[in-house]
Parts: sequence; structure tokens; C-alpha cells
Amino acid sequence: MGRIGCRGNQEKAGVGSTDQQSSAPELLRMERITKRFGDLVANDEVTFEVLPGEIHALLGENGAGKSTLMKILYGLQQPDSGQINLDRRPVTIRSPHEAVSLGIGMVHQKFMLVPNLTALENVVLGVSSPRPPLLELRDPRRRLMKLAEEHELAIDPDVPVWQLSVGAQQRLEILKALYRGARLLILDEPTAVLAPVEVGQLFRVMRLLAAEGRGIVFISHKLSEVKAVSDRITVLRLGRVTGSLPTAAASPSILSSMMVGRDVSLERVSPPVQGDAPILELQDVSCLTDRRTPGLDSVSLTVRRGEIVGVAGVDGNGQRELVECIAGLRPITGGRIAIQGRPPKGALRTIGLLGLIPEDRHEQGLVGDFDVAENLVLRAYGRRPFSAFGFLRWNHIRSHAVEQIDAYDIRCPGPETKVHHLSGGNQQKVIVARETQEDPALLVAAQPTRGLDVGAVESVLNLIRGQRDRGAAVLLVSTELPELFAVSDRVVVMHAGQIMGAVPPDPTRLGEVGEMMMGHTIQVAGDGGTAA
Amino acid sequence: MESAATLTRLVRRVFYRLVVPVVSIAAALSVSGVLIVVASGNPLEAYGAMLQGAAGSIGSLATTGVRTTPILLTGLAVAISFRAGVFNVGAEGQLYVGAAFATVVAVAPLGLPGFIHVLLALLAGFVGGALWVAIPAYLRAYRGVSEVVTTLMLNFVGIYLISYLIDPITGPIGERNASYAQSALVQETARLPVLISGTSLHAGLLLGIGLAVALQILLRYTGLGFRLRMLGGNPTAARFTGMNSSRQIVIAMLISGGIAGLAGAGEVIGLRMRLYDRFSPGYGYDGIAVALLANSSPLGVILSASFFGALRAGANAMQQATGIETSLVLIIQALTILFVIFGPLRGWVATRTTRRAGLTPGGSESAP
Ligand SMILES: Nc1ncnc2c1ncn2[C@@H]1O[C@H](COP(=O)(O)OP(=O)(O)OP(=O)(O)O)[C@@H](O)[C@H]1O
Ligand SMILES: [Mg+2]
Repeated sequence: MGRIGCRGNQEKAGVGSTDQQSSAPELLRMERITKRFGDLVANDEVTFEVLPGEIHALLGENGAGKSTLMKILYGLQQPDSGQINLDRRPVTIRSPHEAVSLGIGMVHQKFMLVPNLTALENVVLGVSSPRPPLLELRDPRRRLMKLAEEHELAIDPDVPVWQLSVGAQQRLEILKALYRGARLLILDEPTAVLAPVEVGQLFRVMRLLAAEGRGIVFISHKLSEVKAVSDRITVLRLGRVTGSLPTAAASPSILSSMMVGRDVSLERVSPPVQGDAPILELQDVSCLTDRRTPGLDSVSLTVRRGEIVGVAGVDGNGQRELVECIAGLRPITGGRIAIQGRPPKGALRTIGLLGLIPEDRHEQGLVGDFDVAENLVLRAYGRRPFSAFGFLRWNHIRSHAVEQIDAYDIRCPGPETKVHHLSGGNQQKVIVARETQEDPALLVAAQPTRGLDVGAVESVLNLIRGQRDRGAAVLLVSTELPELFAVSDRVVVMHAGQIMGAVPPDPTRLGEVGEMMMGHTIQVAGDGGTAA
Repeated sequence: MESAATLTRLVRRVFYRLVVPVVSIAAALSVSGVLIVVASGNPLEAYGAMLQGAAGSIGSLATTGVRTTPILLTGLAVAISFRAGVFNVGAEGQLYVGAAFATVVAVAPLGLPGFIHVLLALLAGFVGGALWVAIPAYLRAYRGVSEVVTTLMLNFVGIYLISYLIDPITGPIGERNASYAQSALVQETARLPVLISGTSLHAGLLLGIGLAVALQILLRYTGLGFRLRMLGGNPTAARFTGMNSSRQIVIAMLISGGIAGLAGAGEVIGLRMRLYDRFSPGYGYDGIAVALLANSSPLGVILSASFFGALRAGANAMQQATGIETSLVLIIQALTILFVIFGPLRGWVATRTTRRAGLTPGGSESAP
């Protein structure tokens, strides 16, 4: 009954009739949802349903309309047409507040937590206290700890949120939703920010929640994750549902052709390793983290013209500091860094020297309130042809944007769209376009494919390869080993601020990399790049 | 076709920018009206008298202009800092110090032609205001000290500094043996021209309007404006483009302080012709309100400052006609700002504009 790819045809029967519809108890049914932004149709007659106890994955390219559909469900946006039914009853969801009271919870990719409040305070924030004028925390604490225990969501209720790791913040977000009685939980790209171990934990939690009869919507770009955890998969493409099928029946190639219209794979292409002039040189570089703990510990590394050096490692082992030191954004406490023989300070302001794709695109890469055209010239606005005599030339900025939108396939209504309205993948393309357009000698890319769909991953990696083939030196920092092995000419592994070793990107060496990521030193017959 | 679309777009853009302020003002007037009724007055009569006093005649229009001028300038000062993500709440102190600097130049018998003397006095006012914000600017940009605290504290220091400077006995620029604390009289050559003879409306208003236009152009059409907006929009991203944020913060604050200093200079050489103790009834703080009401848009500040100026100008007429205290005006102002900050109203506009996101404008006005 109404399982696979079934949509429409039920409007008449569905409205308000609880008795007539048969067997399968349905939790959510979004029916023929349409949402337009200007000329762009973000959701086109989308029908989507979730059963109790079901983990339902939503797949689709960047900009396919997944987040939009979920925002509509959570009351953050209003559909232009279509109907939402909860427990077979039609509902209108005008705000997140109403969504919460209907039992819908959402964990956004950007967490909605107050950094200075404790975990417990964040949970009770916005829930009325049992003894109104007073903030009563004893019962909530008990309830929270009980929820945490039942669902393996370990959390310390009294720690201020800013001290929590990303994974812990996510657990807290889930707890917050459960505390408010969520029966339907939306997780928008929850794994994009997690380390592999944490992903496993999250999946256990999701299964526990589903076993209690809650419905879960899971958005991810990683087919392997979707395969591992979901019961059913619905694929969106250009705002339309291209199909909905049980996970067991889905193979990666079926899915990617449903998503992109073709089969995508990450094959290695010709590694033209050439011993050429060093562009980036680090010698015994050390630095501190934001919390003044040791960040980098005597790192030495060389990247040459025309090579991609991959940096592997579990998140938080100094990669961020490495990137910031190279970009001249973090002072070093020892050693020496040179980009084409020059110190990194001011490198970002030198034309064609350094392209930087930062790891956090919202915080570091974009100005959300600026439009696409402005974000594309965030670094070059002051130069010809975008400026003359201190004045901006908007016609050039606009036409440049039109070209780049076309060249990089940035899906958006137009150059005047505020960049915070773009989907994650398209935001990333804006950054990649901006940072490569001047053919920099050195390209530093930190987690450039985070949150991108397979098609976009492929195109970003191809762009990076293209930069290498053009003769750029590329430093690619990623937590995705397959991706690193697919494009790098050499992979170095970081652990606790040190470089543990270097290996050639030979799939048979994956095990060694894994060992080194855990901090084990291995004697490798590597080709340079090792640190003391 | 093309131009028709551009036009509707422009109209829509202006419309959505005006919704929040206009609705806020209407709501504030309604609530104050209820207060008047509670105080057994007639709101229509009161507002009528106020309107009469603010715009009923050339003379009252001139008064509105006079009242608008300092608020317009301090409003611009605050707005430009807000746009760069800096919260200069020290316009009051900068206004006083700017006034003192301008006075020193303006009372000196320099024997210069009028035009040049005026310019020098204004320049001195700008420098004074900028100097007064220089310390908070340095502390904010290079030491990470919150400018909200430092600029606010320096307001009090500035006010007392002026009291000292013009003390009739000990003050270096105080008029000796005067019965009030005041400076010497501003030289004829250093006075801003009167715009409508028989009134005290002076060229300071034109200065403010010209400056508003210039700032709008600066923000939208220059590299400096782009940097300031980038800083206000996302300081971290600005840093990741290699921008020297500290320098931009200093620049933004100096411009802001300088404009506040101009407000003080304008009052001295345009209206009062002497520097008096405590001559500002809080123009620097009104500037914050005016900037908020205008959502930090320089051209918008012309409108919001005029509204506040008109309220001030009409207040006396209202008191005379109806006996309602002039402090009603302060209530109206405060309510207006509360409604501006009031979330749901902004939320409504936000959803309306994102629904038509394809049509949202480029040069974004960012809320402070
Ligand atoms: N508020 C908005 N205004 C204008 N366009 C928007 C808005 N929100 C979304 N869009 C556009 O709608 C399309 C769908 O966006 P959505 O965020 O739903 O994609 P997504 O499937 O979640 O992609 P991703 O995987 O990259 O997160 C995109 O092209 C995006 O640019
Ligand atoms: Mg999304």
C-alpha cells in the first residue's frame, strides 16, 4: 500500500479519513509539494512519505531541493502548493514552533545552540518551566539524563556548549528534539561534520530511535552511509522525485543514475608526478591552537609544481592549523614557511599566488548577506576590471558572475541571489570558482567536498586536478581517504599535530594510512615529506 | 520590457525597506495615542498641533530642519559604523569634542575668507570627533576590547572635558568673566550661512544630506565601501580573503567619529555661535535610534532623522496647544525603536522577500 514511488491519486481519500486507509500506519505524507524561488522550482510536485519506525533517506544532487522540502516540513518555509499530512490528518505548519508541537524535530547542519549556555540550559531553552517564574532545572535534568541514557547519547549537562565537540553538539541537538517530543526527526546532512567513529555511533542512535517507532529523515551525499542505515530511499533531481525504493533494492549505480542521470565514479586518472620546483615549503613549523594548546608540532612538508599532496587524518589533528599557517592567518611559533620563497603573510593579497578553499564555507568562505556576484569577487573586487580608481564597476562584476555561474554550473536564480539562499554544494562552487579563477601557484583546499553530492564531488576534484595539470601545487586536506587516494600524488598523514608519514596513493597502502591516523608510527619507504 | 521589470523591482525593493519603519512609526503613534487618551487628552488634537508645529509654516519647517541637522549627522555616524559591524555608541562624546575643536578654529580671528574659515572649522570638528574615537578604535582593532564599552564611557569623559575647557575661570577656551560657562563668540567668517532668512535654518542640513548621499555611494560603489560591508557581513570571511580587518575597523570608526564631530561643529558654527556647557540634549544617542530606524541605510537616515526632528520641532507647539508634556515625544521615539526591533515584523518582511528571492537586491542592507 502506497510504498514504492507511489504519489498523487490519494488526495480525495487521504483528507481526514483515518478509517478508510488500510494497513500501513503512515506517519508523514507530503503531497505534491511545490515551492518556487523566482523562476527556480526548488520542489516540483514532490510527494514524500515516512512510516513510523522508518529511516528514510533523501538523496539528490546539490540544489535538488532536499533542504527546501525539509524546511517546508519544519515550518521554516511555506509551500506554494501541496499538502502535508501527519498521521493521515492534513496539517498546516506555519512556523518551527508549530512543527515542534506537532512532534517534528530537526537537526540543522548548522547547529542552533547558544554557545554560552550549558547543554541542559540549551535543552530547556524555549520550553516553559514547570514552575513558571522560576527556572526549574531538577526535573528537566532528570528527564534529559534519562533520554540520554536510553538512546546512547552521552552528554555532560553542565558543560557550556562552546566546549563541546561537534559530535557532542549534534547529540545535544538530537536530545533537544527528543526532549520536545519529536516523533519525526529530520537530520539534514548530519554526518558531514562527523569523524568516522562518530558516524557509527550516530547510526546506532538512529536505529534505536527508529525501533521506538519514530520516523527519521536522513539526508546525506554518501551512498555508503545511506546504504548502511536507511530502510528506504527517495531520490530528488532538479526538484522532482525520480524514484523511491527500498534500500535493499538500491545499488550505487542505480542511485547515482537516478540522481545525476549517469553513472559517476571516482577513478584515478594519469598521475603525472614530476619532480619540479618546490612551491610550498614548510620546515619544522609549530603553532598553537585557538585554545593555546600545541597545534602543529615540527611539521615539514614540500609541495611541488604540478603535484597534489593529500593530507589525511582524523579531524582536529592539526589540519586546520596547518591550513591557516600556510595562508598566513595564524602566527607560527617556530620553523619556516615559504610560498614561492616568500613568507605567507600577505600571500592572500598577492595576485595569483595562493588560492584558499577554507573548511567552513559559511564562516570562512562566504558573506551570506552578499549576493553571488559579490561573493565571486570577494578577493578581486579591488582590481581591474572590477574596480577602477577605487570605484567598483558593477557591470563587470555582474557579467563576470554570469560567466562563472555558467562555467562552474552554479545553480541559482541569478547573480543577484543572496548566497545564503544557495544550496550547500552551490555555495561551495562559488568558493571554488573564486579561488581558482586567477590560476594561483598554490591551491590549498580544506575539505573541499564536504557536503557535496557525488556529481559535485567529481567536478570539484576534477577542477582540482585541472589546477594541478595546469602546473599548480595543490595541498588537499580531507578526511575522505577514497577521495585523497583518487586524486593525490602523495598522501601524508597527520596525527596530533605531527606528520606521521607519507605514502604513495596505492590502494594497498590504505591500511598503513589508517594505522598512522591512529597515531602509530610506521617505517615507510616514503618519498619525502616525513617529519622528525 | 526590461526597464519595466527593473522599475517594478526597484519599487518592490523600496517598498520592503519601508515596511518596517513605517509600520513601526504607525504602531508607536497608535500606542502613544492610547496613552494620551488615558491621560484624558485628545490624540488627534495633539498630533494635529504637533504637525502644525513641525510643518505648518515656513518657520516651523525651518525649525524641523534645525532639529533634524544634528540627528542626521550623528545618525549617519552611527549607521556607517553599524554597516561595518562596529558599534560606535560614543557619538555623543565625539560630538562634544568635535564641537570643541571647531570652536577653537572658529573663534580665532584668522582673517580668512568666510568659505575657507568655515571649511577649516568643519575640518577641525571632524578631526576632533575622529581623535575621540581613536583610542576605542585602536583598542578594538588591535586589542580586542569591546568598543561598546569604551565609546560609551568616553561620552562622559568628553562632556566633562568640555565643561572644563569652557570654564569661565580656569578653562583654556572659556570666555573670561562670563556668567555662563561658554566660549567666545564664533567669528563672522566662520559661520555657516543661513538658508532661509529670518529663521535659523543653516547650511548644516545640506551638509548632512550631501554626506548621506556620499556615504550611500561610498558603501555601494567603492572598494572601501565593499570592504566595510564585508567586515560587517562576515568578519571571519573577510579575514580569510587576506583583508587587514584591524585597519578597516579603525577606518570605519574614524569616519564614524569624524561625522559625529561634524554634528558638533555644525551646532556651534551654524546655530549657537558659541560652545556651551552640555548643549546637546543627547543627539549622539538619538543618532543610534535614527540609524536603527533606517536599518543603517544612509539615505534612510535622512528620512528617519527628519521624523525625529519633526517630533522635536512639533513638541513645543503641542504642549502649548494641548498642555501635553513634550516628553511624549520621547515615548513615541522609544516605542518606534521597540517596534523596529520587534521580531515578527522583520520576520514577515524576511519571508516575503525570500519568497521572491530571485528578486532580492544586490547591494544588501545588513541589519546592525
Ligand atoms: N531562500 C531561497 N531563495 C532563493 N533560492 C533558494 C532559496 N532556498 C533554496 N534556493 C534554491 O533552491 C534550490 C534547492 O536548494 P536546497 O537547499 O533545497 O538544495 P539541497 O538539495 O538541500 O542541496 P545541498 O545538497 O547542496 O544542500 C537551490 O538551487 C537553491 O539555490
Ligand atoms: Mg541542503
